[in-house]
Amino acid sequence: MTSVTDAPPLRPLTEPAVRRDIQPEKVLSVRGIKKSIRGKMIIHDVSFDVRAGEIFGFLGPNGSGKTTTIRMLVDLIKPTAGAIEIGGFNVHRHPEEALRHVGCIVENPEVYSYMSGWENLEHFARMQPGIGRDRIDEVVAIVGLEQRIHDKVKTYSLGMRQRLGIAQALLGRPKLLILDEPTNGLDPKGIKELREFIRSLAGQGMSLFISSHLLSEIQLMCDRVAIISHGRVRAVGTVDELVAQAGSYVVWQFDQTEAGRRLLAEEGVRLVANDEHQIEEGILAPMKEPIVAQMPAGRIQDLVEKAVRVGIGIRSVQHVAPTLEELFLRMTEGESIG
Amino acid sequence: MDRLLPLVQNETLKIWRKKRFYVVVLVLIILIPIFTYAQMRISQTNAQNFKDWRNQVMNQINDYQSTLASDSVPEEWKRYRRIAVQQLQYYLDRDVNPSTPDAITFTRGFMSGSVTLFYPLLVLAIASDLVSGERTTGTIKMLLTRPVRRWKILLSKILAMMLYVSLIVVTSFVLCYLISGVFFGYEGWDAPVFTGFDVSGAQVDSTNVHAIPQWQYMIMQGGLIWFSSMTVALLALMVSVLLRGTAASIVTMMAAVITGTILGNMASSWESAKYFFSVNLDLTMYMNGSPPPIAGMSLPFSLTVLAIWAAISIVVSFLVFTKQDILN
Amino acid sequence: MENKRTSSDTLWRVVGLAALLSTALLVAGFGYAVKDLVWPSPEHTPIQSPQAELPAKKPLSESSEIRITAIGDSLTKGFGDDEGQGYVKQVVAMLRDKWGIPVRLNNNLAVNGLRADELAESLRTNKGYQYTIQQANLVLFTIGGNDLFQSVTGEKASEATGQFDLEKLKAGMPEGLQRFEAVIEQIHALNPNAHVVYVGLFNPFYEMEDLRVGSPYIQQWNQQVYDILHRYDNMTIVPTYDLFENASDLYLSSDHFHPNHLGYEQIATRVVQSLR
Repeated sequence: MTSVTDAPPLRPLTEPAVRRDIQPEKVLSVRGIKKSIRGKMIIHDVSFDVRAGEIFGFLGPNGSGKTTTIRMLVDLIKPTAGAIEIGGFNVHRHPEEALRHVGCIVENPEVYSYMSGWENLEHFARMQPGIGRDRIDEVVAIVGLEQRIHDKVKTYSLGMRQRLGIAQALLGRPKLLILDEPTNGLDPKGIKELREFIRSLAGQGMSLFISSHLLSEIQLMCDRVAIISHGRVRAVGTVDELVAQAGSYVVWQFDQTEAGRRLLAEEGVRLVANDEHQIEEGILAPMKEPIVAQMPAGRIQDLVEKAVRVGIGIRSVQHVAPTLEELFLRMTEGESIG
Repeated sequence: MDRLLPLVQNETLKIWRKKRFYVVVLVLIILIPIFTYAQMRISQTNAQNFKDWRNQVMNQINDYQSTLASDSVPEEWKRYRRIAVQQLQYYLDRDVNPSTPDAITFTRGFMSGSVTLFYPLLVLAIASDLVSGERTTGTIKMLLTRPVRRWKILLSKILAMMLYVSLIVVTSFVLCYLISGVFFGYEGWDAPVFTGFDVSGAQVDSTNVHAIPQWQYMIMQGGLIWFSSMTVALLALMVSVLLRGTAASIVTMMAAVITGTILGNMASSWESAKYFFSVNLDLTMYMNGSPPPIAGMSLPFSLTVLAIWAAISIVVSFLVFTKQDILN
Repeated sequence: MENKRTSSDTLWRVVGLAALLSTALLVAGFGYAVKDLVWPSPEHTPIQSPQAELPAKKPLSESSEIRITAIGDSLTKGFGDDEGQGYVKQVVAMLRDKWGIPVRLNNNLAVNGLRADELAESLRTNKGYQYTIQQANLVLFTIGGNDLFQSVTGEKASEATGQFDLEKLKAGMPEGLQRFEAVIEQIHALNPNAHVVYVGLFNPFYEMEDLRVGSPYIQQWNQQVYDILHRYDNMTIVPTYDLFENASDLYLSSDHFHPNHLGYEQIATRVVQSLR
């Protein structure tokens, strides 16, 4: 994490993820929520479920309604229509019961800067029954803030505040942890640590709801994802399903590039021009004269044989899955994404 | 209800750690010596000019009577002066010094003189920040996403605010007594004070006048100051719920309080001004027998007006706070 | 570390308890104040006259301190003196120079427009008046001018206009003197040991032709006052009727009735000359 030199890395919890697939119970259920603020419709239609033990990604560009939706999940904003249930309790009608099992950080981890980290945790511990000093010690150890926990928060770096925010969210042993853009402001090392940490939490059976405008983050961290744009959920599914929906590419490299291209065209393979595909540059850059084709994976063997028969040497054939970006662009019709 | 106490503890500790109360104490420690010094100079001059307090009171009475004889003094002032003369005469006739030179008397005067402006200011330092402060720093998002109903959060803030209002009143007394005692001596607890003057008419009606030892008078006066300060605090809370910014809340409230002081000084002809809360803040005037600024004002009247303003503030604060969307 | 963990609770206990006790005290005080103000239980403190020790009966110059009480009307108040001193403060200053002993002005209780009957009433009922007279070893006073002129015009002396009914002035004299005598008796009863100086009426009308006819009556008043005062060995009248007769432009203020600073200085000089 950024500029934290004196704090140890987030410590992944060691319990394995054994129960993830056999718990279909819904921790969070969002049904058709709408929200208008000052007569303007911000959220048109948002529905999704978060199951126990899964890491759920919430992906959308800035201004798509992500933060507004998250605020509705934790009772900061009341929806105009629709219902949100956490653990079977309606968040707005029974906030005490529903929020008991939720830990969250909305936007930045804002804690009281004039108090020490410890005093902040005491403060939030007093707000729910049954959280004693032992639990505070525990969460401090989990986020690795033991050294600085009695210093005033105003002396903390952003990364340390992030840890303190997470410690605060973990206090009540939540079943659902909601993190809003958790990687914002973190350096690559911090992001990696956080990712491992989140996985280990999920491994313990906790559900995580993570919002981001970064595809790579969601793709790396999440089991399932909902994509939101213009106040509407465009798609919900596992990351694999969504990727499959997007179709995939096959990248060819021949020793005689032009002959190879002709062969593929004769065989009826759709070739994609360089500026039309959405493959990350990093994948194609080291390749010499790659040819990107869109074709069923099953035909690769057949085409390789044909090429060998006519004497065209094959340097490599590579099956490349698209990023979510392409999928996303298709769904959101060209909205920019970070 | 058992979950409320930890919440009050939270709010109390937050105010303490935000050093709001230190600011209040600091302001008192700076201001009280200034007033003490000013009062000491006055006392020294009086000691030079007058053989004892009776001469001084007689001189004061004579000064007032001279303005009564003047044609250029407005009738309203004359009424105040006439009442003051009759009260001073009441003290003189019973050979009771109306202002013994000691720390308790000074403190009594300081507190009763501070009730319209100074106490509201001190109270605002704490109350205006309670909700808007959490909004500005964004901590309100943490606070309201805990499994606690919003009305409990607000109630705990109000209770903590009440505790600090009490602390402000008592601390100001203690500091004022300790500091002024260095110059005036730590006496005066038993000195009698007359209360019960009825000044609603042109003449003072002293039927109900009785003497109270000064220590008891101080507690009663403190109670009245507490009540008006609580009203200011509750209004400030409402304003800070509605306006969202601490600075805007303080400015709005100070404007309202100062307006009341000005109206009290000049609005005797505009009777409806008496329904404005800040015109009624000085409840101590009913104890020391000063005539109210507007005809028709009495202790029950002022208490009712303040209570209604306070009740409206509470209702509005709760309605808005429990319903409003946290967007920023 | 352990200390820091417990400090939150200790702080809360101390602050919370102090605040709770304060609140209880103030709420109780509030309740009692409301009860006491709305349903008072009157308990009358008896009227009690303050007793001042009377001065020793001896010449002023031999006293350890001269304590002056001044009572009366606008002349004693010093009306017309732009420097706000009147004759009283000038007497204080002159006496200080004369004998070099401390001189203190207890009170100057003069009120503009005061009449002798009002002064007698104050002396009879007002504890403050009585107290300050008793403290004094020198009492300075002026009175009677307003009685005299109100009997004629119904107005204060300073507002007297041209229409002057001599008969009324003559008829009003006895009542005025009666009131004056009451004042003298009160002062004597309160403090027989003090030196009492009455500043006699002066004649501001001498140079006004319409009013000049009243001049003998002013002198007559002073004569009758002397008849009363000479019975008390500690009382004197200081004559001033001659002071401004031909010098009104020099000694009178812009209202042509009250002396100006210089005029009061003349009066003060005479008062001091009369004292021993």
